[in-house]
Order: sequence, then C-alpha cells, then structure tokens
Amino acid sequence: MAVGLHRALGENPRVSETTTGARNRNTVAILVASVLFVGALVVRGIPPARTVAPEDVVEDAPHIVEPMQFLGAGAKLRAGELDAWVAADRKARFKALRDLVYHLDGCPGTHAWLDSVDGQRLERMLGELRTGKREEAFAALALIYQIARATEWKPGLMASTPQANAERLGGLLQDWLRTWGERSAKDPLLAEPAAATAMLYGRVMRVAWRAPIVGTVDAPYKRARTFLNELLGTDRSKRTALGELVQSKNGAAIDRFVAGGDDLLRGFDSDALTLFPDLNGTCGQ
Amino acid sequence: MSASSEHSAASEHSASVGILFGGILVGVGGILLGVQIDQNGSWSGTGWASFALGALLALGAALVRTKSQGRLPRDTLSIFAAVTAFLALAFVLAGVLAPGGPWMFFEMFLIVAVVVFRKPNAESGRWMSFGVLGMLAAMLLFRLWIAYQGSENRWQVMSVDIPILSSLPFEFLAPIRSVALGSFTPHELGFPPAGLSFAPTMALWAIGFALCIAGFVLAQTSAREHENDRIHALIRTLPAPVANFVERLIPEDEWHELGLHGLPERRLAKRIEALVASRMSRQKELQSALDQSKLLTMTNPGGFAGGVYQAIVDSKPPEAGT
Repeated sequence: MAVGLHRALGENPRVSETTTGARNRNTVAILVASVLFVGALVVRGIPPARTVAPEDVVEDAPHIVEPMQFLGAGAKLRAGELDAWVAADRKARFKALRDLVYHLDGCPGTHAWLDSVDGQRLERMLGELRTGKREEAFAALALIYQIARATEWKPGLMASTPQANAERLGGLLQDWLRTWGERSAKDPLLAEPAAATAMLYGRVMRVAWRAPIVGTVDAPYKRARTFLNELLGTDRSKRTALGELVQSKNGAAIDRFVAGGDDLLRGFDSDALTLFPDLNGTCGQ
Repeated sequence: MSASSEHSAASEHSASVGILFGGILVGVGGILLGVQIDQNGSWSGTGWASFALGALLALGAALVRTKSQGRLPRDTLSIFAAVTAFLALAFVLAGVLAPGGPWMFFEMFLIVAVVVFRKPNAESGRWMSFGVLGMLAAMLLFRLWIAYQGSENRWQVMSVDIPILSSLPFEFLAPIRSVALGSFTPHELGFPPAGLSFAPTMALWAIGFALCIAGFVLAQTSAREHENDRIHALIRTLPAPVANFVERLIPEDEWHELGLHGLPERRLAKRIEALVASRMSRQKELQSALDQSKLLTMTNPGGFAGGVYQAIVDSKPPEAGT
C-alpha cells in the first residue's frame, strides 16, 4: 500500500524509505554524540578521592593509649604497662628482659651488648614478639628503642669496624619494619610508630654509612636505600600504604630520598633527630 | 533520474555519516581527555578550569573564523558539525594546556597567536594545517612530560647539573650543584591528592587527543562535502540539461572559493544566478572577440605575430562533451 501511495505521488518508494531511515539514523547518532558531549563535560567535575585524615579510633576493648610515649624519652615511666599485652607463656621472660633493658647502665656498645648473654636472650625474645599479636610487636619495638637509647651506636674513633654498632641496631629496626611495616600503615596502634621507625632506621643507617673518619662505608647505605625503596615504594609510581603515610608525615625527607643525589638519607636523619632528640647514639649524653 | 538519485543519496549518506561519526569520535575523545587516574586507581576529572580556558580559546577561534568567512551553518547536520568542531577544539586545547601556573599562560599566548587568529586556507577551507596539528601534539607531549615528572615527584621540567660544582664532593654545595628549570607544584598540575598514576592516564590522554583530532578533521571535511551536496541539490532543481550546463560553468571545485558555502538558499540561488550571468557574459565576450579575429586574416602582418594570429583564427572550438 505504501509503495502504491508513493507511486501515485510520483516518488521513488525505495529512495523515500532510504531517506526516512537515514533521518532516523542521523537522529539517533546525534543523540548518542550529544550524550557523549555532555558526558565529556560531566566527567571533568568528578572530584578526586580525598585522603582521609587519621582519626582517633575508639575501641571498646582495652588498648594501648598514646603509643608514641613508649618510644619517647619518657618510655621508662610507662614500660610496665607492656607486660599486660604479652602472651602468658612468655610474660615472665618478657618482664625480666624489660626490667633489664630499662635499667641498663654504663652505655655499652650495641654490638657487644647484643652479643652478650642478655643480648642474645633479648634478640630471641624480639623474634618471638615479632611473630605474635600487634601489641606484642609493639612491645618488641619499644624494647628496640630502649636498646637504641641505652647502648652506644655512635661510631668510635679507634674502632676497626666503626659502623658495626649502628649497623647492628639498624638490623633490629629493619627486621621489625620488614615484618610489620606495611601492615602498620592503617593500624591505629602501629601507624605512627612505624612511620617514626622508618625515619630512625634511615638515621641509624646514615650514621653507619658515615662511620669512618675518612670516607664512607657503602654497604649499609646501599642496604638502606634498597630496603626503604622496597618498604615505601619510592622506586615506583605507586607507593606502598606505609610510603603514603610517611610521605604525609615526613614529606621533605621522602622528597629528598626520591630526588636522588649523594646523601639520600639526610632528610631521614634530620626528621628522626627532631622526633627523638635523645637518640643520639651516646645514651643521650 | 534513478541513477542520479541513487548517486546523490549515496553522496549525502557519505557526508552525513562522516559528520556524525566525527561527532561520536570527539565525544569519546573528550571523555578520555577529561579524566585522570590516581595512584590508588581512583578516577577523577581534570577539572573545569582547563576546559573553560579551552572553550574560551575555541570560542575566540570560531568567532574569528565566522567573521572572516561570514558563513553560518544552515541545517541540522551543519550545525552539528559546527558544534562538533567547537567542542573538539575546546577539548584538545584544554587537553594540551598545562593546567595552571606560568606555563599555562605561555601556552595560551602561543595558541592565541597560532590557532585563534589563524585564517583558514581559502582554497581547502581547512582550519588547521599540519603545522598547527604538530604544534598541538608537541604541547600535548610537553604536558605529558611535566605530568610524568610530577608523578615521579620531580617538580621541575628538568634539572641541569652545574659542570664543576656538581663534581665536588662537598655536602654544603648540594643546594647549588644543579639548577631546576621550570619548577611547578602539584596544585598547578591539578593532580589528585594521592598523586597521578602516569602510565594509564597518559594512555587515556593520548588516545583522547587522537580521537578528538580525527573527529575534528573528519567532521570538517564531511561538512564541506555536505555543503557541496546542498548546492548540488539546489542546482539539480533546474531541468537536467540546464543543471549540467551550470555545473560545467561553475565547477564544484570552485564552490568554496566562490563563497557559495554557508549561504542561505535564497542568497545561494541569487549568487548562482549572478555567477552564471557573469560567466556567460564573459564567455560571449570571448566568443565575440574570436569571431572578430577573422578580420585579422586580411591584415595579417606575417612573421611571428602573424603566425600567432593565424593560429588563433584557425583554432576550432572543442567538440561538445570533450
């Protein structure tokens, strides 16, 4: 019927159908393109994901309050609170070692003391605590800080291996960061201590690197650079969670580390000294 | 009639499809140029500021072009082609501009000088030469470079070591061992707070740029074909022999240059009438001159001049249809 009508009107039905079809197709294509145009404008207004500011986490269960106090100069005042967080089967040994470390006198060399009977017991305890709960891991970190505070790791003038003390302390910090660093980034108990520990690790390893009176020792420096790159993700475009946390807290140190140059750890050194001015390698003297 | 209609329908089909496909390309390209990915894998927009600047520059270019040519789109497809060209230019300019800071203003001046105030080629009608496209591509590369530097936490275009100072092993010289050229900030680059994930973002922007340019060129070329089809359709309303004669008198290649594109139908008809009258008049004058030249046979002076006169007189008009 339609064909007959077209013929009666003197039109070519095939051409008319083609024209109508083309018009519909054009309308659809214009609509699709218009939607794409609007989409291209709308996507520009998509807000970026905001960085979430750290908030105080309210935990119903008992928890360690103000953990940084256990790492600072006044740690001795609250050290006894750590006993309650250690598993029952090692609580007695922990308590004895904690008592020993927090009353260590005479400022012995770090390397020598860790090789002593008490030092070896402490290292075994640190290994156990690192594989335990987060609170036990934190207790282990508090003990390492106390070792750093009560032993001498500043290079001696006459030592044959002047970097040994600092490198040994750096080893303890590195073991803890390797186990708990990435997991700590979003943990309200461990986040701030882990970021501070990364700074302290950089400072201690820098001391080891610069230990000789003349020249430097490359091994600790290269080890620190490799480990920090791995830990913080600074050698690739995507930072680790801990890397982002440290960037937000110690941005200048990280920027200097990433920028390259001769002294990558300088920013770590200055930031750690600001955080823990008494951790100078000579028992605070 | 049937063959001619089919040919005409096929021709219009080609032009309209080109315009519409160009529009879709520009839409997709605009979306890709408008997003970025941060280092957590989250998507976000590149912001309104850069697009507003791009749109402003594109508007300036469109106004300058309209003023110089005095033409306006006359039907839906032509309007759509104009909108497509405007948005493509806005997306591309927004995509290649540095998002903020002194670099952005430097690039704006460059674009104003080279793109906005550039007159289109009278013969081809092309808005952008290959030189301009090359400059826009170079600006995109520059933006990608500074985005890369920023994604690697290097906040300058480049760092140049000072020859002697950089080789001295003294730490206190660190601040003056190298010179940072073209420093910028994350805020100037419009980076998301988590930092830019360079590789996927670069891929999005590069593809978006290519799609926008391809869509722009396709829509512009097709719009020109569409205008030719419109003029052709008007001429074809004449009886077929007359239409054929008019198209021989005013070849399609000259339509754009003669200012037929973009005229409303009434003015287009008047313009064609005027052109036919003008060219016929010239043709008749020429024919008359040739006819009168037969007198020269009686006054042929001989020699070189006489030879040329004789050649003109002896020449025959070409056969019809050759």
